[in-house]
Amino acid sequence: MAQKPSQRGATRASVKASKHHWPTRSRFNASLYFQQHKTTLKESFMRLLSYPLASVMTVMVIAIALSLPGGLYVALKNVQTVTDQWERQSVITLYLFPNLEDTEALALSHQISAQPDVASVEYISKEEGLRYFERSSGYEQTLSSLSENPLPIVLRVIPREAVDVTTLSSLQALRDELATKPEVDIAELDAQWLQRLANILSFGQRFSYALSVLLVIAVLLIVGNTIRVAVESRRDEVLVMKLVGATDAYIRRPFLYMGFWFGMLGGVFASLCILVLSWWVSAPAERLIDLYQSDFQLQTFNADEIVLCLTISACVGVFGAWIAVNRHIANIELQ
Amino acid sequence: MEIEFQRVGKKYDSGQEALSQVSFHLQQGEMAFLTGHSGAGKSTLMKLMMMIERQTSGQILIDGVDLRTLSRRAIPQHRRRVGVVFQNHQLLLDRSVFHNVALPLQVSGADHEQIAKRVRAALDKVGLLDKEKFNPMALSGGEQQRVGIARAVVNKPQLLLADEPTGNLDPKLSAEIMNLFQEFNRVGVTVLVASHDLALVARMRHRVLTLNQGRMVNDGGFA
Repeated sequence: MAQKPSQRGATRASVKASKHHWPTRSRFNASLYFQQHKTTLKESFMRLLSYPLASVMTVMVIAIALSLPGGLYVALKNVQTVTDQWERQSVITLYLFPNLEDTEALALSHQISAQPDVASVEYISKEEGLRYFERSSGYEQTLSSLSENPLPIVLRVIPREAVDVTTLSSLQALRDELATKPEVDIAELDAQWLQRLANILSFGQRFSYALSVLLVIAVLLIVGNTIRVAVESRRDEVLVMKLVGATDAYIRRPFLYMGFWFGMLGGVFASLCILVLSWWVSAPAERLIDLYQSDFQLQTFNADEIVLCLTISACVGVFGAWIAVNRHIANIELQ
Repeated sequence: MEIEFQRVGKKYDSGQEALSQVSFHLQQGEMAFLTGHSGAGKSTLMKLMMMIERQTSGQILIDGVDLRTLSRRAIPQHRRRVGVVFQNHQLLLDRSVFHNVALPLQVSGADHEQIAKRVRAALDKVGLLDKEKFNPMALSGGEQQRVGIARAVVNKPQLLLADEPTGNLDPKLSAEIMNLFQEFNRVGVTVLVASHDLALVARMRHRVLTLNQGRMVNDGGFA
C-alpha cells in the first residue's frame, strides 16, 4: 500500500477522494508503463516460442493468406509499369479522303496543330506514304506498276496528353472530335488495346481488392481463434488475475501482443514469400518482356511496401486478438 | 477497513436465496469468524465483499462507500485493497512461488525492486523465504496455503478475507494458519475468516458470526 501506516484504514474522506482519482499507486508512471509493455512484448514472444509447432503453423497460415493479395499486387504493379512505358508512343492517325488537295490537307494540319490539346501534327504526303510503304512492305514492284498512288494523305496527330489508362477517355474524345471533320475519312487512336488493357487492369484491381478483403478477414479469424484457444488455456491465470485486481486492460495486454506477434511474423514471412517468388520468376519474365521492350526490370516489393505490409498485418493481428479477447475474457468470471 | 452490511440479500437468477436480511458491522482492525453449514451463505457473503457477485437487496458499505456506487471499472481497484485466501489455493502451477506471490503487485503496476522486496517480506512472514524458487506443486498442502496467504497480504491490504483456509489441513497446521491471520490482525488489518471448524474457531476467542440458510443467526458471542 502506498499509504503511510498512520493512514491505514482510510477515513471516509480519503476513500471518497480516492474513488475519483485512483489511489496513489496507479498514478501514471510513463517509464514504468513502457517497461511493463516491453516485458509483456518479450513474454508474449517467449510464449509463442514455447509452443513452436503451433505457432509456426499459425504464422505460416497467416503468411500464405497475406502473400496471395501481396503477390497479386506486385503482379498488377508490373503490368502497370510495362503499360506506362508503352503508352507514350500513342498517336491519333487521321486518314484523309484521297481526293483532298495538298493545300486543304496542309490547312487542316495547321488548324489541328493550333488546338490546345494537340502537341504536334506530322504531315505525311501521299508520296512519303508510298515510300514508307515500299520500304516496309517489299511490294516495290507491285506498287510501281500502279498508275496512280492509291494512298491517302495521313496526319499523325500527337496529343499533348500522354496516353495512359487515366487519360484514355479524353483522348478518345479528341479522336471522335477529329473524326467529325469533313476532310477526315478515318481517325484511329492506336490505343484501342489500351482500352482493353484498362478494362483488364480494373478487373484485376477489383479482383485483388476483393481477394484482399476476404483474406484479411481470414487472417482475423485465424488470429481470433488462436487467441481464443490461448485465453482458454490460461483460464486459471485470468481468474487469479481478476481476483487480485487486474484491470481488463492488463489481462488483455499479453493476448494483444500475442496477436501482434502473429500478425507481424505472418507479415514478415508473407513479404519473404513475395520477394522469393518475384526473384524466381524475374529471369523468365524479363526475357519475355524484353521481346517487346528494352530494359524492363521486374518490380518487386520495395521497402515502403514491406513496411506497409507489416503494418497492416500487425494491425490485423492486434485487432483479431482484441475481438477474441474481449469476447472470452468477459466469459471468464469468478464463481 | 470497516465493513457494514445492512439487510443484505442475494437471490440468484435461479431463484435460490443465498442470503437474506444479513446485517453486521465489522470495525476497522477487528477480527471475526464466519461459521455455518456448507450452503449457509458464507462464500456468497465473501463474494459480495469482493464484488464477484452483487447483492440483490440491502447495502454494503466498505469504509463508508456503498459498493453499489462502484462501477465495473472500479472493481479492480477495490480488489487490490482486499486480500483473499481460498481453500483451493488458486496458485498458478506454471510459475514459481515467488511469481505467484508477486502477481497482485505486478497487476497493480509495481516496479521490479518493489516487487522483490515486498514478495520476500511476505514470504518471510509466512516462513517460506527459502522456497521462493520452488514450484507450488513441490510444496505440502500447508505450505501451499501459506503461499496463498503471502499472496493475499503482499499488497498490504486493509481487509483480509479467508474462505475455509484450513479446509484440507490437519489441526496443527490449521492452528498455525489461524495464528498467522491473528498476526496480521494485530498490525491493524481487518480479518474475516469463514470456517466450519467450530472447535478451532472457539479456541481463537474472536467474534463469531453464524449464518444459517442465508440468515445471520448469531453475532458476537464465541461459538
